Amino acid sequence: MKIDLGPVTRLEGHLNVETTISNNVVEDARCVGDMFRGFEIILRGRDPLDAQQITQRICGVCPYAHAIASSYAQESAYHLKVPANGRILHNLIQGANHLYDYLLHFYQLSALDFVDITAVLHYKGADHDLVKVKEWVKAEMASGKPYPAAPFLPRLSGRYVDDAEVNIGALKHYLEAMELQKKANRASAIFGGKFPHATAIFPGGCTQNAEIDLIVSYQSLIVEVRDFIHRKYIPDLVAVAGAFPEYWEIGRSKGDFMSFGLLPLEPGPDSRRLFAPGILADGKVAPVDFSAITEEVKYARYSSPSGLHIRDGELVPEPGKASAYSWVKAPRYNGRMVEVGAAARVLVDYHQGNNEQVKKLVDHFAGVANITPDMLNSVLGRHLSRAICAAVIADFVLAECERIEPGKPCGAEIMIPAGGEGYGATEASRGALLHYIRLQDHKIEKYECVVPTTWNCSPRDDKGNPGALESALIGTRVENPEEQIESVRIVHSFDPCLACAVH
Amino acid sequence: MLDRREFVKLAAGLSAAFGVGSLPEPVAAALKKIDPAAIPRLLYLQGQSCTGCSISLLQAESPSPLTMITDYSQLAFHTDLSATSGRQSIELIEKFISGQAGPYILALEGAIPYAMPEACVIGRTPLADYLKQAAATMTAAVAIGSCACDGGIPGAEGNLTGAVGLREFFARNKIDKTVVSIRGCSVHPDWVWHTIVHLVKIGLPELTEAGSPSRFFARSIHETCSRYHDFQQEIFAEKLGDKGCLFKLGCLGPQTLADCASRWWNGGQTYCIDTNAPCIGCASPLFARAKNMPFYRTNRLG
Repeated sequence: MKIDLGPVTRLEGHLNVETTISNNVVEDARCVGDMFRGFEIILRGRDPLDAQQITQRICGVCPYAHAIASSYAQESAYHLKVPANGRILHNLIQGANHLYDYLLHFYQLSALDFVDITAVLHYKGADHDLVKVKEWVKAEMASGKPYPAAPFLPRLSGRYVDDAEVNIGALKHYLEAMELQKKANRASAIFGGKFPHATAIFPGGCTQNAEIDLIVSYQSLIVEVRDFIHRKYIPDLVAVAGAFPEYWEIGRSKGDFMSFGLLPLEPGPDSRRLFAPGILADGKVAPVDFSAITEEVKYARYSSPSGLHIRDGELVPEPGKASAYSWVKAPRYNGRMVEVGAAARVLVDYHQGNNEQVKKLVDHFAGVANITPDMLNSVLGRHLSRAICAAVIADFVLAECERIEPGKPCGAEIMIPAGGEGYGATEASRGALLHYIRLQDHKIEKYECVVPTTWNCSPRDDKGNPGALESALIGTRVENPEEQIESVRIVHSFDPCLACAVH
Repeated sequence: MLDRREFVKLAAGLSAAFGVGSLPEPVAAALKKIDPAAIPRLLYLQGQSCTGCSISLLQAESPSPLTMITDYSQLAFHTDLSATSGRQSIELIEKFISGQAGPYILALEGAIPYAMPEACVIGRTPLADYLKQAAATMTAAVAIGSCACDGGIPGAEGNLTGAVGLREFFARNKIDKTVVSIRGCSVHPDWVWHTIVHLVKIGLPELTEAGSPSRFFARSIHETCSRYHDFQQEIFAEKLGDKGCLFKLGCLGPQTLADCASRWWNGGQTYCIDTNAPCIGCASPLFARAKNMPFYRTNRLG
């Protein structure tokens, strides 16, 4: 039986998943990216400094990751010397953006897969927000209008958390997280200018100066967010994991893991990072080599050649291409499929012993949940990895604040050369993000982006091997093949962003 | 300082002067409690978008996003928030669009790939098909963000999909419908939520020639700029990171109609110019349109 899961909601953009079900098992899954814009062509011939602005519009959920990747690429192409404050402000902006994104993902995008919102109808307490929601849901159900209590109902059938206390707590924190994500974004906007789509980020730093009052405002907002992470987000996640322990086994992808490394510790281009880069295959981590990346398009809607390296990238759309089923290309590393994202970021770092805190947290939670670290490759593992990243990043950006030297430069003087090229690699919250820029006559000759969800939601490669999410879905047992809440939970665990994936 | 007696007297005088009875009928009606059953629902669809406008809507302060969702907008569907998914959500969308689920306001975020309908599909149906059907059943349409208004970056020079905004899309399909165009890349949450409050409580707000609510888009950023004084005194930023008027670096505040400079962003924390970042004209119908119109004036080597 063939069932479409699309449009899959509570993720960014237009994703369909075509599944084939036999005896309640997902026999085949095809990830379909259903939207195309063509950013790389739009960028050609433009002023290079337009790039960190234009590429932010690839994704309004993680725009700052694109601004940072583009800035790194341009810094490399311009041979820019970045002042220490400039790099720290980049980190503060990007770090806060990760924190908001983790909260948004766990509560707004994922919680309704597990938590029973109807539990609020039996709420007996006096909390103002919960009483308001309870009265609202009651009135909606009694109203007789179509689709009462939307957008929170209807929902897919399946088993939800049955512990009233867990449900009510998570629901309360769903509401609080809506306020807390704003605080994280206010913090990044202090130096970024606004969120989404910062205008103050440039190669070499920011236009905003590191005034002490701004730093203190930033810190106070992040302290509140950090508090929420430890007191509410992580306990809620542990509670959900306790109710659904089978999801430590469900949703395992079948490829390698790659991270480009996140948050440089020094201003220079080859600085160590808070999360170390690397590619994890067969239990060993190797350095990342961008020239090993190719993009295959046998199953993607392009007539341009397949298997091109990043610096040779081409983009000719062919909407009616017979063999194709998605607008997402299939990037491969040395021909192999990889998963990127929070789990990859944590595992790649953990296996190198780079960051003590990452190691401690992984070991701690592995003990609590009675799992091995390699089980981060699962639905719950991806959620846990995000929480670990959140805890580590919150501490780091607060420490970075102390390293700022007020009064010193926060940006570099930019002189755009006639020619040159550069790669810029970082981690968006969703995973490894690569930008490549090449200049000719002071303009952009070529711009290429390989984006986290391009890896995770890739279609088959030319050899017919599935992408990471496809591989995680295949073999999954589903209770109700028409709705497949199990598959939807797997999809959400990757936090797909289709606007990013196709761009 | 007023004492209590004086205050009560003053308040009584004010309420007599601005008594509900003296207000125009629609405003008086709007001040009464709204009946949730009478409010059109909000059906929120996404085209060639980045979701940045949706994310911006979650940054609202007053009313809060939750109050807007539950009380005012009666949000029936949104890709990023809806619990429903897959076939269930297709049924929901089609029930509204076919006119079987009562009155609704259509909100569109993102551009429409006019020359390549396959470049934006919801489930198995091109977005363009849904929009043509919705035109016959919707109460009103709100284009959210520069992409939905004018094509935005998906519609910029050299694009491959023929991306256009909702007004242009309706015009090309000979559909005569008013579209409220709320520009900005992304939009400010107040611009959208407050417009929706106006739509559900009073009706269509006053619009500028470009179809945008005058309340937010009547004046240029330059006119209300917090650095207007620097401009008058000719205190100009000469390089990125300088304070002063940013005009020489390419600031597009003079050409851009929006109230960023008085409203500020992210809960009033800041806005572009306050962080020494030139306005890039993201609320202009011409935003990012031409390749030879760079955002910044900066130096070149060689």
